[in-house]
Amino acid sequence: MSGERQVAAADWPAAIAAAVADGWRFADLHDAPGDRLRALLLRGAEQRLLCCAGAGRRVGSLIERLPAAIWDEREAHERGGWRFAGHEPLRPLLGHDAPAWARDEGVDLHQVAVGPIHAGVIESGHFRFHCVGERILELELRLFYKHRGLEREAVGRPLASAIVYAQRACGADAVANQVAYAQACEAALGLAPPPALRRARTLLLELERLYNHLNDISAVCAGVGFAPGTMLFAALKERAQRLCAELTGHRFLFGTVAVGASRLAIGAAAARAALAELGELRRAIDAGWHELRAAGSLQDRLVGLAVLTRADALALGAVGPAARASGVDEDVRGASPLLDYAGFVAASPGEPSGDVAARVRMRAAELGPCLDVLERLLDAPPAPAQAEREREPAAVGAGVVESPRGRSVCVVERAGERLARLRLRSGSYANWPALTRCVRGILLPDFPLVNKSFELCYACVDR
Amino acid sequence: MFVLLRQLQRLRGQIGLPPATLRGSLTLRHVDAGSRNACEHELTATANPFYDLQRYGLSLVASPRHADVLLVTGPVTTRMAGPLRTAYEAMPEPRRVAALGDCALGCGVLGAASELAAPLDHLLPVDVRIGGCPPTPAQIAEALLTLL
Repeated sequence: MSGERQVAAADWPAAIAAAVADGWRFADLHDAPGDRLRALLLRGAEQRLLCCAGAGRRVGSLIERLPAAIWDEREAHERGGWRFAGHEPLRPLLGHDAPAWARDEGVDLHQVAVGPIHAGVIESGHFRFHCVGERILELELRLFYKHRGLEREAVGRPLASAIVYAQRACGADAVANQVAYAQACEAALGLAPPPALRRARTLLLELERLYNHLNDISAVCAGVGFAPGTMLFAALKERAQRLCAELTGHRFLFGTVAVGASRLAIGAAAARAALAELGELRRAIDAGWHELRAAGSLQDRLVGLAVLTRADALALGAVGPAARASGVDEDVRGASPLLDYAGFVAASPGEPSGDVAARVRMRAAELGPCLDVLERLLDAPPAPAQAEREREPAAVGAGVVESPRGRSVCVVERAGERLARLRLRSGSYANWPALTRCVRGILLPDFPLVNKSFELCYACVDR
Repeated sequence: MFVLLRQLQRLRGQIGLPPATLRGSLTLRHVDAGSRNACEHELTATANPFYDLQRYGLSLVASPRHADVLLVTGPVTTRMAGPLRTAYEAMPEPRRVAALGDCALGCGVLGAASELAAPLDHLLPVDVRIGGCPPTPAQIAEALLTLL
C-alpha cells in the first residue's frame, strides 16, 4: 500500500501513461474535494493513488491512451466541473438534458428507443439503438434513471455507519461493494484485518458469487427461451440463497459486513449442514451444466454472438467473467492479501472466444473454484473478529474486491472520522462500455440475450 | 433436454407444493422506480419451482396495457416519477398498485432529497403494501394472493 502521490496538472496524462507502461492498470478516476482529481492504479496487489490539484480544474484527457477512463472523465466533468483537453465532445453521463443522440442521419438508418421501463422484471434504463434494418450499428446508453445521489449524501457521515450507502447501492453486489468500502476505510484508518476477518469476508463474497452466477446462467437460458434451463438454475439459485439465509440470516447477506470488524459467527452444526448442502449443490450444478452444454437449441443461440475481442476488453477496461471470457487475465482474487484466497487458481474459460457462449461458460467454470473456497472456509467456520492497528492513518484509502461482475473499487477520503468523499466504481460501471462495443453488428432481437450474458447491474452504476 | 425435464420433475416432487385452487387470475406489471435490484431478484424468484406463482393464475406481463396490478419497487427517483405515472395511466381500469419493498413504502430510504420525487403513496393510490428489504418470494406471493 502506498500513499497518495501528487502530480502536477501539466504532467497528469504523462504520469498515468508512464505508470501504465510500467505494468499498472487503470482502475478509477474521480473528482475529489478541494478542486482535486484522483486516479487509482493497480499492479497485482499493489495500489497507487495519484492526485492532481487545482490548475483551474483543467487537465489533459486520458482517453486516447486509456478508453477505460471515458465514463470516469464524463462523470468528473459533471460532478466536479473538470475539463479534459482532448475529450471532445465531453458528453454528460448522469445528466438527462443532453441534446439529441449522436447520429440520426443516413440512408435507411433508424432509431429504436427502449426503456426506461423494460418488458420484463428488469431495472430501469434507456437504450437507444441505431439500426439498419434489424442490425445494430451503434448502441447509446442513457442510464442513471435510478440515481439516488448516494455518494453525495454519504459525505459528512461517520465512516463506520456510512457503510449503509455502499450497501444500498446494489442488492446483488452488496457484499462486494461493502467489503471494498470497509477495506478503503481500514486503509485510511491504518487498520489491517486479521486472518479471522479475512476468512469471514471471503466466505461472504463467495456466497454472493455462488447465487449470482447461478442466477446469470438461469437468465441466459431465459434470454433464449429455454425454460427447463431457466427453471433448473433458478431453483439452484434459490437453494444457494436459502443457504445464505441459514448461515447469515439474510438471503442477500445484508447486514453482515462492517468497518473494522465482523460479527459473523457460524456454529459447527450449521457449517456441517452447509457443507452437505454445498456437496449436493455441486452435484446438481455439474449435472445441470452438462445438460445445458449438450442442448443444441440453447448453444446454437450463444456461439459466435456478440464477440468482445481481447483488444477491446483490454482497452475499455472490461472486468470480471466478461473480460476473462475474452482472454484477459483479470481477477482480483489472485492478488487479495486482505482476503483469504490462499492458493486460489482462477478458472479457465477454455477457448476465450469472447462471445455469449464464452461468458456463460466462464461463469459455469467459476462455480467449481467458488465451491472449493466455500468448503475450505466452512471446514473451520468463521468467528467474530476485529481489525488491528497496523500503521499510520492516511487521508485516503482504497478497497478493491472481485464482485460477481468483476472488480469493484471503492475510494474513501476522510476528514477525521467522517467521510469527505465516497467513490464506488462497480464491475458493472466498468463493463457497460464493453457491452455497447460488442453489440455492434448483431441483430436487435439478440440484444436481450447479449445483455444477460453480461448481466450488469444498473443500481450500482446509477448510485 | 429430457434429462433436464426429468430433473425438474423430481425437484417438483421433492418440493411438494400444494395444489393451487384457482380463484381467478391477475396480470402484473413491474416498474423499477429506483430500487437496488434485490426486490427484482425476489420478484423473479416467485416464478421458480419453489413458489411457482403462476399456478395461482398470477403472471407478469410485458405491457401496462395488459396489467391489472402495478408492482412498484424503489423509493421513486425524480427521474422515474414521470415514466411511472405514464405506465400507471396506460393501465385499464380497474387497476391496483402494489408497493413492493421497504423503499416503495417510504421506510429507511437513503439518498439526496433532490433526487427523490416523493413516497409512492403520495404519487399513486397504493392498495397493497409488501414490506421487507427485500420481501421474500413467500411474502410477495402471500400478499399478491390477497388481491385475487
